Amino acid sequence: MKADGAAIAPDELARLLAAALARAGEAEAEVYASWQRRGFARFALGELGQHMLIEEPHAVVRVARGRRVAETSTTRLDEQGLVEAIQSAARIAPEVPEDESFPGFAGASEPAPPAVQRFVTATAASTPDQRVELLRPVLDRVAAAGLVATGVLDATSSVHAVATTGGVQRSYAGTTALFKIWALESAGSGGAAGHGLAAHADVGALDLAAETERAIRDAERSRDPISLPAGRYDVVLEPPAVAELIEWFGMIALGAREYDQGASALSGRIGEHISGTAFSVTEDPLGELSFAVPFDREGMARRRVPLVERGVARGVLYDRSWAARLGTHSTGSASVPSSFGEGGPAPSALVMDGGDAASVDELIAGLDRGLHVRRLHYVNGMLEPRRAVMTGLTRDGTFLVENGKPTRAVGNLRFTDSLLEAFERADGVTRLRQLLPNWWSSTGSVAAPAVRIRGLSFSSGSQTRS
Amino acid sequence: MPLPSTIRTVCQAGLAHATRQADVSYAEVRFAGEEVERLRVRDGVPDGVGRSLKSGLAVRLIARGTWGFSCTPLENEAAVVAAVGQALAIARASSALGRPPVLFPPRDAQVGRYETPLGIDPFGVPLEQKLAALSAPEAALRQGGAPIKSAEAWMSWTRIDKLLMSSEGSDIEQHFVYGGAGMLAVAVGDDASMQRRSYPGSPGTEQLQAGYEVIAEGRLLEEAPRIRQEAIDLLSAEPCPPGRRDVILASSQLALQIHESCGHPTELDRALGHEISLAGGSFLQPPQLGTLRYGSPIVSLTADSIAPRGLGTFGWDDEGTPARKVALIQDGIFNDYLSSRETAAALGRESTATVRADGYNRVPMIRMVNVSLQPRSGSLEALVADTAEGVLFDTNKSWSIDDLRLDFQFSCELAWEIKHGKRVRMLRDARYTGATPDFWGSCNAITGPEEARIWGLSTCGKGDPIQAMQVAHGAPPARFSNVEVGHS
Repeated sequence: MKADGAAIAPDELARLLAAALARAGEAEAEVYASWQRRGFARFALGELGQHMLIEEPHAVVRVARGRRVAETSTTRLDEQGLVEAIQSAARIAPEVPEDESFPGFAGASEPAPPAVQRFVTATAASTPDQRVELLRPVLDRVAAAGLVATGVLDATSSVHAVATTGGVQRSYAGTTALFKIWALESAGSGGAAGHGLAAHADVGALDLAAETERAIRDAERSRDPISLPAGRYDVVLEPPAVAELIEWFGMIALGAREYDQGASALSGRIGEHISGTAFSVTEDPLGELSFAVPFDREGMARRRVPLVERGVARGVLYDRSWAARLGTHSTGSASVPSSFGEGGPAPSALVMDGGDAASVDELIAGLDRGLHVRRLHYVNGMLEPRRAVMTGLTRDGTFLVENGKPTRAVGNLRFTDSLLEAFERADGVTRLRQLLPNWWSSTGSVAAPAVRIRGLSFSSGSQTRS
Repeated sequence: MPLPSTIRTVCQAGLAHATRQADVSYAEVRFAGEEVERLRVRDGVPDGVGRSLKSGLAVRLIARGTWGFSCTPLENEAAVVAAVGQALAIARASSALGRPPVLFPPRDAQVGRYETPLGIDPFGVPLEQKLAALSAPEAALRQGGAPIKSAEAWMSWTRIDKLLMSSEGSDIEQHFVYGGAGMLAVAVGDDASMQRRSYPGSPGTEQLQAGYEVIAEGRLLEEAPRIRQEAIDLLSAEPCPPGRRDVILASSQLALQIHESCGHPTELDRALGHEISLAGGSFLQPPQLGTLRYGSPIVSLTADSIAPRGLGTFGWDDEGTPARKVALIQDGIFNDYLSSRETAAALGRESTATVRADGYNRVPMIRMVNVSLQPRSGSLEALVADTAEGVLFDTNKSWSIDDLRLDFQFSCELAWEIKHGKRVRMLRDARYTGATPDFWGSCNAITGPEEARIWGLSTCGKGDPIQAMQVAHGAPPARFSNVEVGHS
């Protein structure tokens, strides 16, 4: 496969892994590698202060000596670098205590993932000049509106491959283009703000102008906000707000580790009603609303996994080790350890089902008095994970709705509520969903609709500034 | 251990290529290498034992008055010259927007070396010994079985090597080692309720810039029975009753309070609006320097990159500014920012030496160093004894604060109700809420230096794309009056 503009061709990366495994001569080993190349234009105050080309090669190696398993990683993606990483893991492995449940590395009999086409040359080959010319009208438009522009245009290509001594050999290349824009009344001191976001495999498919206009419109509507006290409010949460809640739900509830620890809202409750019928969440890495690699770090094919169906808990995500420990099968959900995660089973592409509402406006029309919330900020789901209690603040556009119409901007408020209990009170969901990459990976995402929730609990009122 | 001479030669070649360009007014080539060893034992089973290596070269330059950045994982002359070419192409492309030139004040060449003082080199300690130091406390947490459902203990060690060479003649070589160990017990009750208890603080805060000697000091095995019992007792504890109370923050929770409500809002790039795309702005704005009352008169907070054992300690930051100690908050008044050469110049001030990058493939930016509350006097127990009615919060569980770092809500694993100077009962799911200047303005007691433990956070997230950074906070337990408390 060609991957013009990418750091390396996927076939070449796969061959490199196989050659390193063969040269190292270990009986049981696994190598997963990725190489991301990011053309990343970050702008603030209307200027391109951080325009970067970022190369991110990374390989993660595991070597087993019987049931003793060690792991190493390296940024050297040449054959010698990979061989040294394998040899390093081999030196450590004999010193590691046995893991009785270690299932071995994936073998050739494991089903191959289906082909997924998410590589767009225009994104991978994006040049600095092209990114500047895409952003020039954005910056000019926001300045003309008397606002301050801040945001990101990111064009990333990523190549992934995995090989095991059991005969697994897979490779893949994909692209992610992301545009985030804020239009701000003031640069860093708060005030009115509007936000737009678009993500697609093809940088040419991003509608920068539309998202810029949305950000400007929301910033202008957000001037002179009123204060509201704490209390329960009916709300319409737009997709970026819903996605942040779902992302946290994935972190605290949907991995086999949290499930087995008894820390997940699904622990011991598979088949039970845990939320409302409007709440259906699926791991859907092969669908259209995803940037996921079609196989995981162990070489297992990712697949669609129903997690919550119409409020009923259906399952969690497994890698090979947790599947072996708990007597089930991997769902192809092994994640790569990073600074922000220790690895283990984790979602790659959570998708919430859409509903019947034709638009956000239709949901808003159903509010006698409530709030229209564009985004949430700094959500945290660690308060009571068993109930999925979360807290966070509104941001970049919160509007009072009266008699079905937005009337005034509202200062940001803090909500604290159980996600699952809140979705029991959901009575409207849009058909359309938005795909939002997560903040720590260009191949992870959440896709969410807008949702109307009755009586969301806001624990602090707006404008508490002294 | 000195860096191989080949690294220096390659950096010099990149720098020479950059400075030959007529439109380049500043250039730096930075080598960053990192080795991390991670060990974890969970429920009696090793879970992720291994090492990671990451290294490469970064090029940052100003051409035609505009920044350009590129990097390469390859440490040879051809690769660094190519990276310089990419950084030049980026700067030249961006300059077409016709914005005002970057204001990057020159500085004298800095030449020198820094190295973490080590008692015992952790990379020389056998893996078997390290695993034993984890297996014993992890087993002690699980001793007796239910209601302890799961337990884990972990250790990590990081070695970072850096070389910075700049067109100003700077040549700075630095070597860092940091690490630590922690543990966690998860208890599940008959009613399926769940409580976690961590030690020594919430996971990830146990890191210090020091050698293996910190493992014995951590006393995991000795503390495991207490942590196990606290996890069990929390299952039957009452939730924290809502109301307004005096609040005492134990050291580890105070560290997070400092991090979120002082560290981040004093970052000048946030205040100027450079960080909106991930984190937000700041309520601390430049016109308020020297006048805004941030806290009560007993509150003084420093940014200190020379404190022993702090993860934010170095010889020079990543743009060559020497380490120093500055007062961010002096006697309750907002006094200074965490700043870079460029952002400080925008205010006509000097950099406070806080710029660092997460490895070779990230742009250097303002990061916290060791941001610490200055101790006063007395012990935690004396502070409890001096409190008629209040709640003591210990070990962070959840954290959330608004985009200006003003309105916050934190919850803790464990809280104690205090009545008449005594801890009378344990409380679960306790949270407190406040607004930063009101909260720090209510600070009416700070304990002494003997209580001021330094906590290291190795994964402070900032930037876009995200960067993880090592920061630290000295945190003597302190008391705050009339704070809103409740439960999740």
